[in-house]
Amino acid sequence: MLKQYPTARFILMRAGWYFVTFLVAVTINFYLPRLGPNNPVDIIMAQAGSGTSREDMRIKEEMYLMEFGLVKMKASRDAGGRAVKEMVRDAEGKPVRASNFEQFITYLGMCLKGDLGTSFYKQSKKVTDVIKEAVPWTIALQLPTILFGWIVGNLLGALAAYRRGVFDKVFFPVALGLSSFPFFVFGMLLVAFFALTLGWFPPMGGYDNAIPGFNWPFLSSAAHHYVLPFFSIFLILAGGQAIGMRSMGIYELGTDYIKYAKWLGLRETTVLLYLFRNAMLPQITGLALSLGTMIGGALITEMIFSYPGLGMAMLDAVTKNDYPVIQGVTLIITVSVLIANFTVDILIAFLDPRVKAGVQMGKGL
Amino acid sequence: MKLLKNLLKSPMFVIGMSLFLVTILIAIFGPLFYAINTDRVGVPYDMPNAQFWLGLDNYGRDYVSLLIRGLGSSLYVGVIAGVIATTIGTLIGLYGGFKGGLADDILSVLTNLFVVIPQFVILILISTTFEKRSLALVAMIIGFTAWTWSARGVRAQAAALKSKDHISLARLNGDNTLKVLVVHILPYILSYVFMVFILQVSSGILSEAAISMIGLGPTGDNAISLGVILNDANRYGGLSDKNWHAFIPATCVISALVFALYLINTSMEGVFNPRLRK
Amino acid sequence: MAIFEVENLSLHYLTRFGAKIHAVTDVSFTMEQGKILGIAGESGCGKSTLVNGLMGLFIPPLYPTSGDVRVGGESLMNRTPQDVRQNVLSRKVSMIPQGAFNALNPTRKVKDIAADVMAAHMKGVDRKQIYERLKERFDLFGMETEKVLNAYPIQLTAGERQRSVIGISTLLNPQMVIADEPTSALDVTTQKVVIKMIFDLLEKGIFSTMIFITHELPLLRHVANDIAIMYAGEIVEMGTAQQVVFDPRHPYTKALMGAMLSAEPGQKQRKPTAIEGAPPNLANPISGCRFAERCPSAKPECKEREQKIRIVGERQVRCEYAE
Repeated sequence: MLKQYPTARFILMRAGWYFVTFLVAVTINFYLPRLGPNNPVDIIMAQAGSGTSREDMRIKEEMYLMEFGLVKMKASRDAGGRAVKEMVRDAEGKPVRASNFEQFITYLGMCLKGDLGTSFYKQSKKVTDVIKEAVPWTIALQLPTILFGWIVGNLLGALAAYRRGVFDKVFFPVALGLSSFPFFVFGMLLVAFFALTLGWFPPMGGYDNAIPGFNWPFLSSAAHHYVLPFFSIFLILAGGQAIGMRSMGIYELGTDYIKYAKWLGLRETTVLLYLFRNAMLPQITGLALSLGTMIGGALITEMIFSYPGLGMAMLDAVTKNDYPVIQGVTLIITVSVLIANFTVDILIAFLDPRVKAGVQMGKGL
Repeated sequence: MKLLKNLLKSPMFVIGMSLFLVTILIAIFGPLFYAINTDRVGVPYDMPNAQFWLGLDNYGRDYVSLLIRGLGSSLYVGVIAGVIATTIGTLIGLYGGFKGGLADDILSVLTNLFVVIPQFVILILISTTFEKRSLALVAMIIGFTAWTWSARGVRAQAAALKSKDHISLARLNGDNTLKVLVVHILPYILSYVFMVFILQVSSGILSEAAISMIGLGPTGDNAISLGVILNDANRYGGLSDKNWHAFIPATCVISALVFALYLINTSMEGVFNPRLRK
Repeated sequence: MAIFEVENLSLHYLTRFGAKIHAVTDVSFTMEQGKILGIAGESGCGKSTLVNGLMGLFIPPLYPTSGDVRVGGESLMNRTPQDVRQNVLSRKVSMIPQGAFNALNPTRKVKDIAADVMAAHMKGVDRKQIYERLKERFDLFGMETEKVLNAYPIQLTAGERQRSVIGISTLLNPQMVIADEPTSALDVTTQKVVIKMIFDLLEKGIFSTMIFITHELPLLRHVANDIAIMYAGEIVEMGTAQQVVFDPRHPYTKALMGAMLSAEPGQKQRKPTAIEGAPPNLANPISGCRFAERCPSAKPECKEREQKIRIVGERQVRCEYAE
């Protein structure tokens, strides 16, 4: 039945593939930290074991065990007859620990419900809350930066490939030099020069002395703090894209169809359009592939600027061994990258007639 | 050998290679000319002066010593990670690309999984489980998570070569897979693998810097890498207190290193793909 | 009245070091309405350079040395690139390139490419009119117009793509069409279809004259009215197809015919023989006959005396000693 709708089938199969990848990612996310010598459970228990009296310690310990899903639970009824979950105890009344696998199932269940657990460090603060506070900052910084960086970089690269000459001779080394910097290293340089020496922009933070919300003091302060982090990422990203696009452009310029377009006497703008439209396709694919690394670099840049996004959340969590937050953030990052890749896959299938034709014929997995 | 000659004609390659060799020389022979001392020798963040050309760090240690040590450590991590990643990637790519069929499908699925799942996420997750991390351990972790790119590239090359005539001839002769791989295919892709290796080394150096910035880099008194230096500078007020000497030199060194490797790689690409030249 | 006239055209390249390469020397011919001129010669004889010159495409490092090219009486020389693009290309002189089936932009539908050609040369025509005209034109070609126009190149067969290219190149009814190896790399059936299409268009007056470039001499005999043989940038022999193929006078033409495998009646017994040697380097000014090095009937004076075109047996031959 589905064979009659090759497009739908293609989308479904890609979605299926990404879901499988997601499951693998969640599994890795859960198990990896537990494999080494320094696993989260011990940390939890070490923290739990701090109390005044034995009884205190026991209560605390059991609380932690339940909270972090480390103990087997069974369904039962409480005094009022309502359904509750109760700890399974052994012959001596000690709680029975859940195996790693059981913990994983609990974790999976929680994930799919959208609950990523509770932070170790900030007691009684849910991981999802921590993430919710940080994500808007990260998205506000990274989304425009990556989008504009990609667009501007590719446009400049195409121009350099077409014009060559003086523009190219100046532009190419500059772009090349820029593109080899890691984002955060460049960020440090920008801070050193523009923030510390010239004092034009603040060296860190997301905003100063203002109450978050749609009010002018906040927005203007946030904008002021936005500039340096933005350019740390944007300039380098654009440079890298320009280099890649320039190579693609040079390659496409030698193709038969461009030569023919010129022979036909097509307008220069038309020829440039042909060039761009074709050279851009591998660039989109390239973007998807490097998205993971890009986001990683951008997050570290956030750390340099103490920008209140996911980067800082991660940094804090690592410093304080706050495992649920670490795992939560890595999971969110992974999911975002997966979604982005999925989107690009579908986008390419629609933009490139050659891939579209393959999809129509039932290929494309 | 003709390849080498062509490479030497490219100014990018010459500059890149020279820069890279200079850094290696500094790392290896630096200690002979400059007394490396990574203990505390003075006041934290002492500014550069005649005795300590680049000043002191937040612990009061001499930056020149730290940088030379750091350069060596970063190179060490980069090269080891590069070797591991290139080896794994090449083996998987070669086997899958050449064999094709089910083996290829399985390996491709595996590779694609780890291309999409961000490398640094896995890096973070593994690194958190080790409280003490030596340089070698960091290098290994990076190497074991960075192979996916190489696998993809090598696989494409191997698959393309598979259909070439002299390979078919060798198979007709009855040579087994291993022999065909080593004797016939490997020489062809050797230059490609070398290019991949350079990229892996450069990415390894950067990954180390990145993971150090999160605080998950090498630990211990002796584990001083460029990333660790940068991290210390960031954490302990280097950026906001006008202590430019805390991070400018380290930044420059790591940039130069990565830039050199990048130049080498781009120039190699240019030599392999003549249309990009000029 | 001659549609296309070439008068003593010479073209050269300037290399980076200032050396002049005389790629084309002293080419002259005229073409009447409805005629096809075939041009044949080995690789490197200057065909591609000549083609660019015949279209008025003097893009550095290619420069005209001397001579004139006229279409319908108007000269193509000394025009600005903008002028050439807008008024000459596709309108007066058009090109069907080699490997034509790769000449279509893979991410653009055929109808859009054709529309681009019209939009680039005509002012103020809206898209709807363009598509109407496209449909009319493509209906002439005997292809499934709707399907072809709305398809992306990858969805068409090689033959369909080739014919689309011919259609697009002749859209604005150019007076002269230059076809560079239009049938090589096609299977025999498709070749016939393409040739038939060319004849149809010529007959209907869609274009007025054609220059047909190919290596395949037997094909030339069937297709061309006249044939010009090029060597080292010069025309060494030119005459009717019948004359050049069956009664060659210039030593090079004779050697070419001898090197050719032919299923023509009367030719089966001959063994093909290769021509030894290689064409001369055109960077240095050459004195004497350019073919002298390889000519089987060369005389010692040949290397010194510049060879001019003579009329021998009702055709042009560039050899003093040809009979």
